[in-house]
Amino acid sequence: MRRRRSALVASLAAAALTLAGCGLGSEDSGSSGGAKPTVDAGAQVTGEVSFQTWALKPKFTSYVEGVIKAFEAKYPGTHVTWLDQPGDGYDKKVLSQASAGQLPDVTNLPPDFALSLAKQNMLLDVAAADPKLNEEYVEGGVQAYQYQGMDGTFGYPWYLNTDIDYWNATKFAAAGLDVKNPPKTFDELLAAAKTMHDKTGGKEYLMSRLPGIGDFTNAGIKILSDDGKKFTFNTTEAAALLDKYRDAYKAGYMPRDILTNEYLGNSKLFTQGKVAWTTGGGNAIQDFVKDNPSLKGKVVPSPALDTPPLYVQGLSVSAKSKNQAAAIALARFVTNAENQAAFAKIVNIFPSTKASASDPYFSKSDGTPESDAKVLAFQSLAKAKVLQPPVISGATNDFIGQQISLAISGKISSQAALDAAVAKANQLLTQ
Amino acid sequence: MSVVTDPARPVVATEAPKSVRRRRSSGFNSVSPREKVARYVLLVFVLLITIGPFLWQLSTSLKGSGEDIYTRIPRLLPAQPTFDHYKEVTDTIPVWDYARNSLVVAFLVVGGNVIGASLAGFALSRLQFRGRKIVLGLFLATLVLPGEVTIISQYVTVREFGLANTLFGVALPGMIGALNVLLMYNAFRSLPVEVDQAAVVDGANAWQRFLYIGLPSVRGTISVVAIFAFIGAWDDFLWPLIVLTDPNKYTLTVGLQYLSGTFSNNPRLIAAGTMIAFIPIVIVFATLQRFFFKGVEEGAVKG
Amino acid sequence: MRYNRWFTPWVLVIPALAWLLVFNLWPSINTVILSFTNAKPIGGGHFVGLKNFETLLHDEQLRWALLNSVIYMVVCLPFLTVLPLLLAVLVEKKLPGITFFRTAFYTPVVASAVVVALIWQWILDDRGLVNGLAEKLGVISGPLPFLSDQWLLLLSAISLTIWKGLGYYMIIYLAALGNVGRELHEAAAVDGAGPLRRFVHVTIPGVRGTMILISILISVSALRVFSELFILSGGKGGPGGRDNSVVMLIQQYSQGFEGNLGYASALSIVLFFVTVVPMLVLARLNRRGAEA
Repeated sequence: MRRRRSALVASLAAAALTLAGCGLGSEDSGSSGGAKPTVDAGAQVTGEVSFQTWALKPKFTSYVEGVIKAFEAKYPGTHVTWLDQPGDGYDKKVLSQASAGQLPDVTNLPPDFALSLAKQNMLLDVAAADPKLNEEYVEGGVQAYQYQGMDGTFGYPWYLNTDIDYWNATKFAAAGLDVKNPPKTFDELLAAAKTMHDKTGGKEYLMSRLPGIGDFTNAGIKILSDDGKKFTFNTTEAAALLDKYRDAYKAGYMPRDILTNEYLGNSKLFTQGKVAWTTGGGNAIQDFVKDNPSLKGKVVPSPALDTPPLYVQGLSVSAKSKNQAAAIALARFVTNAENQAAFAKIVNIFPSTKASASDPYFSKSDGTPESDAKVLAFQSLAKAKVLQPPVISGATNDFIGQQISLAISGKISSQAALDAAVAKANQLLTQ
Repeated sequence: MSVVTDPARPVVATEAPKSVRRRRSSGFNSVSPREKVARYVLLVFVLLITIGPFLWQLSTSLKGSGEDIYTRIPRLLPAQPTFDHYKEVTDTIPVWDYARNSLVVAFLVVGGNVIGASLAGFALSRLQFRGRKIVLGLFLATLVLPGEVTIISQYVTVREFGLANTLFGVALPGMIGALNVLLMYNAFRSLPVEVDQAAVVDGANAWQRFLYIGLPSVRGTISVVAIFAFIGAWDDFLWPLIVLTDPNKYTLTVGLQYLSGTFSNNPRLIAAGTMIAFIPIVIVFATLQRFFFKGVEEGAVKG
Repeated sequence: MRYNRWFTPWVLVIPALAWLLVFNLWPSINTVILSFTNAKPIGGGHFVGLKNFETLLHDEQLRWALLNSVIYMVVCLPFLTVLPLLLAVLVEKKLPGITFFRTAFYTPVVASAVVVALIWQWILDDRGLVNGLAEKLGVISGPLPFLSDQWLLLLSAISLTIWKGLGYYMIIYLAALGNVGRELHEAAAVDGAGPLRRFVHVTIPGVRGTMILISILISVSALRVFSELFILSGGKGGPGGRDNSVVMLIQQYSQGFEGNLGYASALSIVLFFVTVVPMLVLARLNRRGAEA
């Protein structure tokens, strides 16, 4: 009895220590240089390596297994353990892996996840081990894994995507608008939204999206100071942009529910046939039609307004990896031109390797709207830019969104909302 | 040392007035036709309010791939009914393996709660001991303790115990819930104090009183605890996701996530998956619910 | 009484107590520690004294959240104490098909958040069921902004909570009704008490303890409301974040890699004190009622 009790006390004490440790670890990352690899590119590649992807099972199981098999064949003696995590809760999963010191050797991380981990010296600077990185991958992709104030590249860019515009031809016809010649700038979009509202007696909507950081970037507004320490988007230009949205909302050009809508709200409304415009990736038509077959043949794609956004996914290597050589080799192998091109042919994403640019698969349409959309998206990639800096995530993102919707609802002035958003975002940045 | 107490016994309406004697001959369990109609009308009314989500899910899961599931006015009857999506779910993910894992977790949690909460609830309500009030206060306080930011530190604890990536680790934190202890405490408290006193006079010890007097009379609350525990364990998503690494050990809620990939989402498929996960809950509920009515039914046997 | 040694009660209580300490109490103490730091989910932080609490004082969103929580509690409490009891009495009687009804009434409790969101958005949006019906009947001229007006959104969330809570509290009441026993009802029926009388004089006193427990649970969960507001506001807390609850704020601050665990912990502590008050009041009520 007594012995059992003392065991319990001991385990409680152990738990206490680790808990106090959690969240209060050492903070020695003041001047982050990033973790440098301890092996060079020529090191021998062999042994065990773990590889974590995000929501690729079961659709791409055979593709990933094929790549792994090819890797193991190319480097005899290696063995890859593949983990695929479900789509939901991936940030919490990676977070708990990171705080337990158990990041897989190679992990699929979007740039904002990688930023936080790199700040804690948890990721390797892969460029230091692989001098060819800049030569072989497109600039935008590599830059997404380089951060202000930090030295290094913290992931191999894997696949890219961008948004283009989609228009509902039926609704355009109903409003007397020409879907072959859709709006090309924000002001044209506003004018078309007014026409659609007026011509249909307020029954149909064109726009259903609140402005965000990406729209500010597109309007030439500087989001972050050069040293990355302060937010700067509370300018009069930004306020003027918000004013335009507010007036459109007030005039009834946008459905009122957008003030509460969740992410991807406009594409859902578009799929439901409630609005005539949305943005989406190069494969969006298939999804619209699958969920709402009545849209078949009625969706017309066109290039994004202004600068198209660039979305990047990448593979990062854990600084704690016990097998850095194999981990780097695997990350490089999965993201090489050949494997990415094969991946891009089974799902609508675009390779981040320069060699893929000449592949006719991406640049020639077979004439269907689906194929047109893919080619449009591929062409857009060339001028696409990351519109939202990776420091804006989580609470910062939510808070900015709340202030913007408050301004659109007309409860406070646009400038006051922006000032509040910047103040709060700065507070979170320097916490 | 232990003295049986009964801190708060409801005062029962002994003063019910003896006035007009209606309904006397019509036994307690029989219902007049008019009352029956009124009851069914009310039941159907509440049914309409509550059952919406279930029907929506069911109908979405049965709708054919060529059907618009986002019509302006939701259509309840599928135009092209099909079981394809159910088949696709079972083809895509090992539903049975995941369901077995979920069952293991759920049984651990149900077992832990039924045993742990009953024992503690009994001791707190029927036995007198020093520190009783403090312990009771702790359980009450737990209801309001801030638990929102603790999931990662819970994971660290479970990992310290060497239980990361095990089903036992998934079950562990939920195996005795403070709310369930309070529910059991409340149930034991409402037992008539006389029965207990008689047992003490007869020389029954605490354990015997727990087993032969306490437990049989709180079966209703035990089944509530079991239902809460089962559903809590069965429906949890985030916690098993964090604890488990090995896909073979995934529980059903985590495994069903494979139905919604990064690149596409088929709401019909997800609805079919949700319905599959829903069936065990219905079974558990339908099986356990009759214990709530033990009082009425046992009385009927006696009388 | 040689059968009951001093440690017998403790043997029964220890397992539950151990769980409580390891999985509830200790993490909470950790929360208190974190509230004086600027910790992030990974990589830690350092002590910042009372800075988080100072920030709390000027946090406009927190004021809205507290106000919302109190409104939530005041509205939910009467509805959810009474309606589920009536429902329990309704399904208590054995009628053909009653198992089906009992199970069906419980389905909102276990329905997935996504489905609940879809259904309620369909019911409440500008061209949804409620607005459509009301316009047809000529009650309103334009649609009511259930999902985009600060107060209507709160009201919608409260209805959603009541809808979800019906089945949950119903089954706790059902178990308690089972404990009341049929003899008392019969005695009262023999004495000529009608259904209403029996409800007031037999049923209600019989479930009094449960009623108090349930009202504690309702006020605690109303003050800690999360999913309903999250669902209806699409996770954004309404225009300007004025439809947040304290728990939603905690969730927002603690999520993601750059979450502010220190501030989220400070918010948790505020929430703790806010919830303790109604609980103490109700517990006191319970004791006084029992002594009377």
